Amino acid sequence: MSNIDMSKAKPDLPYGTLDLLVLKTLDTMGALHGYSIARRIEQMAERSEERRNSGTLRLSQGSIYPALMRLEQQGWISTKWGVSETNRKVKFYSLTRAGAKQLHVEVANWEQAAALVARILDAKA
Amino acid sequence: MTIRRQLARIFALVRAIRLERELGDEVCAHLELAEHDAIARGLDPAEARRDALRRFGGIEQMKEAHRDDRSVRWIENLIKDVRYGLASLRREPVFAIVAIAVLALGIGANTAVFSIVDAVLLKPLPFPNPERIVRMWESTPTGVNSTTALNFVELRRPLHTFDAFSAEVDVNATAEIGGEPVRLQGRRVSANHFDVFGVAPMLGRTFAREEDQPGAANVLIISHAAWQQRFGGDPRILERDVRLDGVPFRIIGVMPPGALDRDRRRPRMAFVSFWKPLALTTEQLEAGSHFLNPVGRLKPGVSIDAAQLDMLAARAAIADLIPQWKKDWSVKVEPFDAVLIDGTLRRSLYVALGAVVLVLLIACANLANLLLARGAARQKEIALRSALGASRGRLIAQLLTESLVLGLLGGLAGVALAAALMRAAVPLLPVAIPFTATIALDVRVLVFATMVALVVSALVGLLPALRLSSASAAEALNHGSRGSSGRHDGIRRSIVGAEVAVSIVLICGSVLLFKSLMRLQQVDTGVRAPNVVTASVDIGRDKYPTADDAIAFYARLIERVEAIPGVESASVAGDVPLEGTGGENLRTPATGDTRLLVRFKRADPGYFRTIGLEIVKGRGFTRADRVGSAYVTLINEALAKDLNATFGMTDPVGQVVDLPAIGFNSSTVRRPMQIIGIVKNERVQSDLRADVLGIAYVPIAQAPMLWTKLAVRTQLDTDAIVPSVRAALREVDDRVALADVRTVEQLRELSLSGMKEPAWLIGIFAALSALLAALGLYGVVSHSVSQQQREIGIRMALGARSGEVLSMIVRKVLTTIAAGLVIGLGGAFALTRVTQSLLFEVSALDPFAFAAAAIVMSVVGVTAAIIPATRATRVDPTTALRSE
Repeated sequence: MSNIDMSKAKPDLPYGTLDLLVLKTLDTMGALHGYSIARRIEQMAERSEERRNSGTLRLSQGSIYPALMRLEQQGWISTKWGVSETNRKVKFYSLTRAGAKQLHVEVANWEQAAALVARILDAKA
Repeated sequence: MTIRRQLARIFALVRAIRLERELGDEVCAHLELAEHDAIARGLDPAEARRDALRRFGGIEQMKEAHRDDRSVRWIENLIKDVRYGLASLRREPVFAIVAIAVLALGIGANTAVFSIVDAVLLKPLPFPNPERIVRMWESTPTGVNSTTALNFVELRRPLHTFDAFSAEVDVNATAEIGGEPVRLQGRRVSANHFDVFGVAPMLGRTFAREEDQPGAANVLIISHAAWQQRFGGDPRILERDVRLDGVPFRIIGVMPPGALDRDRRRPRMAFVSFWKPLALTTEQLEAGSHFLNPVGRLKPGVSIDAAQLDMLAARAAIADLIPQWKKDWSVKVEPFDAVLIDGTLRRSLYVALGAVVLVLLIACANLANLLLARGAARQKEIALRSALGASRGRLIAQLLTESLVLGLLGGLAGVALAAALMRAAVPLLPVAIPFTATIALDVRVLVFATMVALVVSALVGLLPALRLSSASAAEALNHGSRGSSGRHDGIRRSIVGAEVAVSIVLICGSVLLFKSLMRLQQVDTGVRAPNVVTASVDIGRDKYPTADDAIAFYARLIERVEAIPGVESASVAGDVPLEGTGGENLRTPATGDTRLLVRFKRADPGYFRTIGLEIVKGRGFTRADRVGSAYVTLINEALAKDLNATFGMTDPVGQVVDLPAIGFNSSTVRRPMQIIGIVKNERVQSDLRADVLGIAYVPIAQAPMLWTKLAVRTQLDTDAIVPSVRAALREVDDRVALADVRTVEQLRELSLSGMKEPAWLIGIFAALSALLAALGLYGVVSHSVSQQQREIGIRMALGARSGEVLSMIVRKVLTTIAAGLVIGLGGAFALTRVTQSLLFEVSALDPFAFAAAAIVMSVVGVTAAIIPATRATRVDPTTALRSE
C-alpha cells in the first residue's frame, strides 16, 4: 500500500510526452504489444533513475492505452492482432510512415521547447 | 484535432461495443503478461497479481479516459440517456401517457394557432415583391371610399412612381355551361391588372393594352379553379367561347391556381371564375359614381410616402374636375397587406396566440410537477448514481435528456393533433382571414413545433433536474420517502398556484368575450325572420333589354314563388340584410348643397313584410310605384332622425328629398322624391358593432336592375322550400340561376364571423387550462396526502375526526388557490387594455367576469383537492401506520 502513496510524490508526465515516448519506443523496437511498450518505457525511466539517483516520472502502465488509441486514430501507428508470450490474442502496434514523419516533428519540437526552457532556467540562475 | 481523428471519433460511436470489448481484452492480456513477469521475478502468484494491478493503475479510470478520448462522448451519453429515458417511460406507461398527452395538447394547440398567425401575419403575401403592391382609396372626412371612373382615368395618367395602376370591380355573370345556367363570380379589371400582382397566365395570355378600351373584342380570362370545375380541365380551352349573360366571350387565358382567384368578400370556398376587361363608358365617366377599387404596383425602391405624394400631386392637378361638395376629400395610398389585415384581426390573432402560450405554460408547469413528484420517488436511484461517481453535470444531463425524450414525443403527438385540428378548423375559419393566407402544416410550422418541443423540454426538465441532482446522497439514502411533508412540496404548491393564476386570466378573458358575443347576438338587426331564405337572381340584359322587361320578370317570379304551398310572401330587392348596400347622397330642394350620405336600397312592395320590417308611419310601396309614376321613397327611423338633425326636418312623411333616380338604360339623374313612410330600422352592414345607418328605400320598379336578391318567407323548413323556389324560377326563365342561397339566420351567423371564433377559442383554452390546473392541484394534494399518511394516521389514532383532518388539508390548498386568485385577477386587470379592443358593449373590468372567473376556479380547485383529501381521511389509522 505504501507504494501507491509514495507514487503521489512523483510528478506526472508532462501532457503529450507519453505520445512522443510511445512513438520513439515503436521506432526503436519495431512492433510491440501494449505491455511491452509500457515495460520498455518503464525500464528506460528506471535506468535514468539509477543514473541520476533522483525521483523519476510516474507512469501507470494502463495510461498508455488511451495514448495508443489516440495515435492510432491519428493514423501514426497501426495495429495487428497477434499472440502474446502467454498465448493470448493481443494487439501489436507498429509505427506507420506518417507516424515516423510525425516522430521527427515531435522530436524537433521537444528539443526546441526543452532548449528554450533550459535557456530561461539558466538565465534565472 | 485533425479531421482524421474527428472522423475516427465519430466512427467510434457506431463501434462502441466492439471497441469496449477489445479494450477489455487488451487489459486482461496486459495483466496476464505482467503477472507472468512478476512470477518470473520470484513473486508468488497472489503477490504477482497484486503487483500487476498496482503497476497498471486504476483500470476503470483508464477506461473512462479511453472512452472520453475515443469518441464524441456527449453524443454517446446522449444516446445512452435517450435509451434510458425511453426505458423508464416504458416502465411507467401511465405516467408516460399522461405526460405525452398533456404536452401534445399544449404543443398541438400552439402549432395550430401558430400556423394561422404565420399564414396571416408573418408570411409575405403570395405574390412577387408583395411590398410593392398598394391599394388606393379616396379619403372622405368620415372614412374611405372607392373612386370614380373619371378620377381613376385622370389620376392614372400622370403617376410616375407606379409600374402599373389598375382598377377592379366585382361582377357576376350567368354562364350557360352544359345546358345549365351557372352564376359565376368574376371581376372586371384594367388590362394591366395582372402586372400589379405579378402573376403570369398558365395558358394563353393576359389582356393586351387596347383590350380594356370601349369597342374592343369580348375576351375573357378564366381562373384555374373555373377551368377545372366548370370546363373539366379541357386542354383546348383557348379555342372555346363562353356566353356570359348571353354575350359570347373568347377565352384567351387561364390563370394559375393561387391566391389571385380566391374571392375576397365571401366564405373561403368561393372563388373568382373569370376576369373581363374593364372598359369605362362615357356614361360611367360622367356619372361620378364611386365604384372602382384601384390597386397598383410601385416601381422598385419607391416608398409608400413617395407614392402618396405622387398621388396627391395627381389629385391636385385635377382639382377643377372635383365637385365642390367633395373639396374636403383626398386620396390615400396604403400597402395592400395593411388593407387585408386590419387591427382587429391582428389583435385577435395575437390574443389567441398569447392564450395558447399560456395553456402551454400550464401544461409545462403540470409536467414539471409530475416530474418533481416522480423525482421524489426516484431520489434513491439518483443518490445511488451520484454515490457511484456520476458527476452533478452528468446527472443533470441525464435528467434533462429524459425530459427531452418526453418533449419530443409530446411534440410528435402534438403535430399529429395540430394536423387533425387544422383539417377540422380551416374550412370553418371566418371570412375575416384574408384571401391571401394559405394555412398549412408547412416547414415553417414544423420548425416552430420543434422549437416549442425543445423549449418545453428545457422548461419542464430544468427545475426537477436541478432540484434532484442537488439532493444530498446521504440524506436521500437515509430518509427516503419518510417525513410529514415532502421537500418539494413548497415548489410544487407555487407551481400549482401559478397555474391557478394563469387559468384565472384565461377564464376571465373568455367570460368577457362570451358576454360580448352575447351582446352582439342580441343586437337588433331589425329582421324578424326565423325562416326566410335569400338568394341571388341575376338576369341578362340580352333577354331583358328594357326596364319593363325586368319589372315584368320580377312580377312573374314573385307570383310563381308565392304560389308555392307554404310560402307566406316573397320579394325582390337590391340587397339582402347584413350584406352591405350602396351609398348615395341625399339633398333637399330647400337646403341647397348640404348632403347627407345615406344607404340606398331598392325594394319591392313585399320586401318589408317578407323581412319582417314594420311600417311605423305612412304607407309602403305598391305595384303602382313603378317607372313612369311619381318618384317615392321610404325611410327608416335612423334616417328620420338624421333628417331632423341635418335639415331640421321634424315630420318627414310627405316631404320631398332629392335622390338619384337610377336609369336602366339611361344615365342616372337626381330627382325629387316624396317620402311616403317610415319603417323600423334594418341593419344593412355586417359589422354589428357599428351604429345603425339611415336608409332610403326606393321601389325597385322605379330603379330596376339586373342583379337582384330574392327573399322568401315560409312556414316550412327553409331547406325544404329551396327546390320548389328553384323550380319556380326555372318556370319563369330557365336560363337564370338561383345562387348564394342562404337563410337570414345564416347571414346573421356570417356577420358574427371574426367575433365568434376568438370567443370559442379562448373559451376552449380557458377550459383546458382550468382542467390542467385542477389536475395539478389534484396531483399535489394526493402526493402530499400520501406523504402525510403517517401524520394523518397518528392524528386520527389520537382521536381527530375526519372532518378536522379534511379541513386541515383543504385549508392548505385554499391558501394556494387564494394566492393564485390574487395574482391571476391582477394579471387579468393588467391585460384589460388588450382585451377591451376586442369587446362590444362590455367593460374589460366587468365585475361579473372577474367574479365568475374567481368562483369557477375556486370550485374547480377545491373539488380537485377534496377528492384525494377525503380518500386520505377514510384510511384506517392502523393501516396507515403499518404501511411505514
